[in-house]
Amino acid sequence: MNDIVIAILRSGTPLVYVTLAGVIAQRAGVWNLGLEGLMIIGACATILGIMLTQSFVAAILIASLLCIAASVLLWFVIEKLKANPIIAGLGLTGLGIGGTALAVESIFGSQATVTAPFGVPRLGPAFGDYGVLSIFVAAMPFVVFAMWLLLRRSRFGLQLAASGEHPFAARGVGIEPARMRLVALAIGGVLCAIGGAELAGGSLQFFAQGMTAGRGFMAFAAVIFGASHPIGATLAAFFFAIAGALGIRAQLMFGDKVPHDLLQALPYLATIFGVWLSGKLGAANTAGAFGELKDQ
Amino acid sequence: MRDRVLAILRCLIFVAFSLVLCAVVFQFAGYNAAQMLVAVVDGAFLRPGAMEQSLRWALPLFITAVGVGISFRAGYFNIGAQGQFYVGAIAAAFAAELLRGTPALIAVPLIFLAGIAGGALWALWPGLLKLRSGTDEVITTLMGNFLAGLLLVYVSAGPLKDPAGSGQQASSRPVDAAYRISDSLGLSPTIIGIAVVVGIAMWLLVNRTSFGVLASLAGRNGTMVRWQGAKLWQLGLSSFVISGALAGLAGTIELLGPNGRITSGFLPAHGFTAILIALVANLSVVGTAAVSIFFGGLASAALYLPIMAGLPAAAIDIINAAIALFITARSNLLDKLLRLGGRAQ
Repeated sequence: MNDIVIAILRSGTPLVYVTLAGVIAQRAGVWNLGLEGLMIIGACATILGIMLTQSFVAAILIASLLCIAASVLLWFVIEKLKANPIIAGLGLTGLGIGGTALAVESIFGSQATVTAPFGVPRLGPAFGDYGVLSIFVAAMPFVVFAMWLLLRRSRFGLQLAASGEHPFAARGVGIEPARMRLVALAIGGVLCAIGGAELAGGSLQFFAQGMTAGRGFMAFAAVIFGASHPIGATLAAFFFAIAGALGIRAQLMFGDKVPHDLLQALPYLATIFGVWLSGKLGAANTAGAFGELKDQ
Repeated sequence: MRDRVLAILRCLIFVAFSLVLCAVVFQFAGYNAAQMLVAVVDGAFLRPGAMEQSLRWALPLFITAVGVGISFRAGYFNIGAQGQFYVGAIAAAFAAELLRGTPALIAVPLIFLAGIAGGALWALWPGLLKLRSGTDEVITTLMGNFLAGLLLVYVSAGPLKDPAGSGQQASSRPVDAAYRISDSLGLSPTIIGIAVVVGIAMWLLVNRTSFGVLASLAGRNGTMVRWQGAKLWQLGLSSFVISGALAGLAGTIELLGPNGRITSGFLPAHGFTAILIALVANLSVVGTAAVSIFFGGLASAALYLPIMAGLPAAAIDIINAAIALFITARSNLLDKLLRLGGRAQ
């Protein structure tokens, strides 16, 4: 039993951090489809940073700064150049996937995976079986709680939601929606850096090209499925992780008899159902048509 | 007319800006940017046989991109071209497997029908969800892409698996050689003919029929069209189905043409590139044809870069991504500059 819980925590934690980044962007009215790109930048920068500085703290700082820079670029393009957030986000994702591949190739001269001497610090033997988990797994519940406080129980969260849903009203009471979105995307950048770091350094210690393999988009689906509520989206992310872990488990137990690709499809089907339901109930949907910001 | 020229100019400026930005980044990454740009142009258009290779990539992209343009025009953000392309190819592969042994004259049209129907079907359900229940089509089509990707893995490693195949990538049994419409280089009169017919038909549909005019109007102001008595949901659903059908057609061409089989995760950037093409072309059919050749050239150069400039093929992905980042920008400053330039002439 322990090992399946560990497997779910390991695969679910990176997803939760990136999902939270998507939640905060969504509350600010930005459909962030750049999550995938931000996550892979975080993963790559962490591993390269550890190799370069031999320090985990320095590596996570570098990764965070890079992800913030990429988020600010996205903010600039959609806010100042008024580009469509969805297409720009997909562009950022492409930049992240291609850019990290290029970085690895230009530094090491090959497309091979890059292995770091150590990864994210572990909890240690004091936690028994769970000692193999990284500190980010242990921090995750607190981060989720902090995000809930920030988004649902703070002045900032209210202002952020106002900027996303009624930018004109927000401006009327002296909030600057553009600046709120910048802050939201920057915080999201840090969360994506942590998610990427956990993916590449949590249980593994290497970076491979395209290693996020759609997890960023899955996180975006979790944001939508969880109605952009921090706790709802976290639960959705774990639902995805559980479905993934069960898929692998089913394949190990029954071999090819259970097509695990079809089990893997469950989260996506669930998302479609969730979006359909929220459309029926007339809830959610915080963005304008085409995902445009509402004040443009 | 001047507005149209301005729109094209603006797109070209953003594409050029993205290329320059990429060149700067490559320079910093330790590559020779000038050499890279030369290699891209060389690999795409100048090298002997390069035009044929560029066309090979451009034609299926053109067909999908025209479809994307039609749904965007009608105001539906169908970003599921990749999934519709995959399902079209899967349906066509099933048809080719079922019809194995029948004469090509009967089988090939049926395979095409199956592919078109598959793509249309994969656009139909997001369309129905959107028009019946207001379910956001961006999410449903995005999820549809992942579902189609998983379906492709399942089909090519399961029901259609090539027993002789080995290696990491699962692939289906090759299509009967008699059904192929081109060799593995992927350019033949049949494919060119299909692309030309699709281009002309879609140009007529968009510019010379009431459907095209009403659908474009509906994209800008649905309420007005409804008040004029047009059935909005018919227009919308048709736009979804046409865009899906065209993506399915492109999938069938890739199956019966250059690929000859479906492989898990084949042509993963097809749908995204087609969306880019439609946007760069400002959703016009003629523009899409021209822009397709540019992006087809980039796709063909991607195979040439590693050999010539020592650059990873990812360089092309980065160029595409940079264009995506900026292509929808509507900077007021740039518009002002363009207008001033127009006045000075």
